Amino acid sequence: MSDHVFEAPELPECARGIPAIQVRGVDFSYGATQVLKNVTLDVPANEVVAFIGPSGCGKTTLLRCFNRMNDLVPGARVTKGSIVIEGADINAPSIDPVRLRRHVGMVFQKYNPFPRSIYDNVAYGPRTLGEKRKQTLDEIVEESLRRAALWDEVKDRLDDIATGLSGGQQQRLCIARTMAVNPEIILMDEPCSALDPIATGLVEDLILELKAHYTIVIVTHNMQQATRVSDRTAFFYLGELIEYDSTRKIFENPTHRRTEDYITGRFG
Amino acid sequence: MQHHILKDFDQAVNTLRAEVLVMAGLARMNLERAMRALFERNLELANAVIADDNEVDDYERKIDQLGMDVLVRFHPVATDLRLVVASMKISMNLERISDHAVGIAKRARKMSQGPELADVTLLEPLYTLADHLLRDAISAFSDRNAALGESLGARDKELDRMHKDVTKVFGSRIEESGRSADYLHLILIVRSLERVGDMAANIGENAVFLDEARDIRHEESRKHAQNGD
Repeated sequence: MSDHVFEAPELPECARGIPAIQVRGVDFSYGATQVLKNVTLDVPANEVVAFIGPSGCGKTTLLRCFNRMNDLVPGARVTKGSIVIEGADINAPSIDPVRLRRHVGMVFQKYNPFPRSIYDNVAYGPRTLGEKRKQTLDEIVEESLRRAALWDEVKDRLDDIATGLSGGQQQRLCIARTMAVNPEIILMDEPCSALDPIATGLVEDLILELKAHYTIVIVTHNMQQATRVSDRTAFFYLGELIEYDSTRKIFENPTHRRTEDYITGRFG
Repeated sequence: MQHHILKDFDQAVNTLRAEVLVMAGLARMNLERAMRALFERNLELANAVIADDNEVDDYERKIDQLGMDVLVRFHPVATDLRLVVASMKISMNLERISDHAVGIAKRARKMSQGPELADVTLLEPLYTLADHLLRDAISAFSDRNAALGESLGARDKELDRMHKDVTKVFGSRIEESGRSADYLHLILIVRSLERVGDMAANIGENAVFLDEARDIRHEESRKHAQNGD
């Protein structure tokens, strides 16, 4: 197994303790509609951070800012502030969004494997990046599927079509596909909303295991899920970051009234 | 506080809180009647306290069931979670207070069969303080008043001091009075009142947790441990 492909590189001394993502005073608009207002937060490396808040609060928009997925939406743009990942302002003209997405992977709400084999789904990213060696691809596929806790379930049918897997397996396959290009950060947009409780449990277990290797930001409407998997929680409301603290503090004794009202189900 | 998005939740939580307050009223009334049975040598009242303890026991079970129901159905967090936890702990303390009232009533019943004992009046200030501690503990929970809840620990120390003094007096009279059985009863009643004060202080700690999410239990022990005492 080629270790260099999967192990997160050790940070240089000077970079240790530096947040994986630094958001500073970010405003974001879809055309004339401002959806994020002066958001500032740090996402520490190798932690799971949950974004919560009512629909339309801006949490998914911020998540999609981290790998510039919003570039695909006409008129959508960061109008103020900066997002720094690995020391670089990701909105700088010199940043190639495609390369950025290799470092910042994303798992979507609805699992979306390609209508191809299980193997091809996982090998897709490395192949796109130019990897052609069969042995290396085999190693990447195996390791990614192992990390996604899926290897034992699919190792004997890697050539089967991916869309024939169960929903939970397809979502874990998408996570394996994301990991195959060895990102430092994984973004998850309601990754369990289409899954049953057992499949959700498997994905949550996976998230807890993955944080040893990756920084994970998860958007979720399921607050019990946020309490189970995240180290920190950020509560957004109407485009503002209202409160950001340890998950335990947020769910046991939040500082702000609006946070308390939201998490206790008293949102007027 | 705003209404919950689920109407059933508000109803369940309001019911839980109301049942704790009813139980607290019953426990306090049982203690008051037990002490009155002692002071007034009222056998009937003592029997009523013993009979009514079942009702307090039923409330403890009911509050546990309501709390579990809220936990299972609504997965409460923050202040709602603290209310459920505090309610269940407070009901446990109230049940024990009522048990002490029963113990006092049983002793009052036994003592009422013998001649009057003037020293019974020495218990009055202890009972008054214990009752005030219990009253204020209930208010601290009901009004979410952390300051009042936190004040009970220090006031309970005064009750401890009175307990020590009166026990000493009764102890000295066991031999000299020739009524050792009655003085032993009084010593154990004083002990019950002192325990009621402890439980009121516990309820005060639960009220602080409910109001401010602070756990002030065993703070003195922790301070002593930190200072190497």
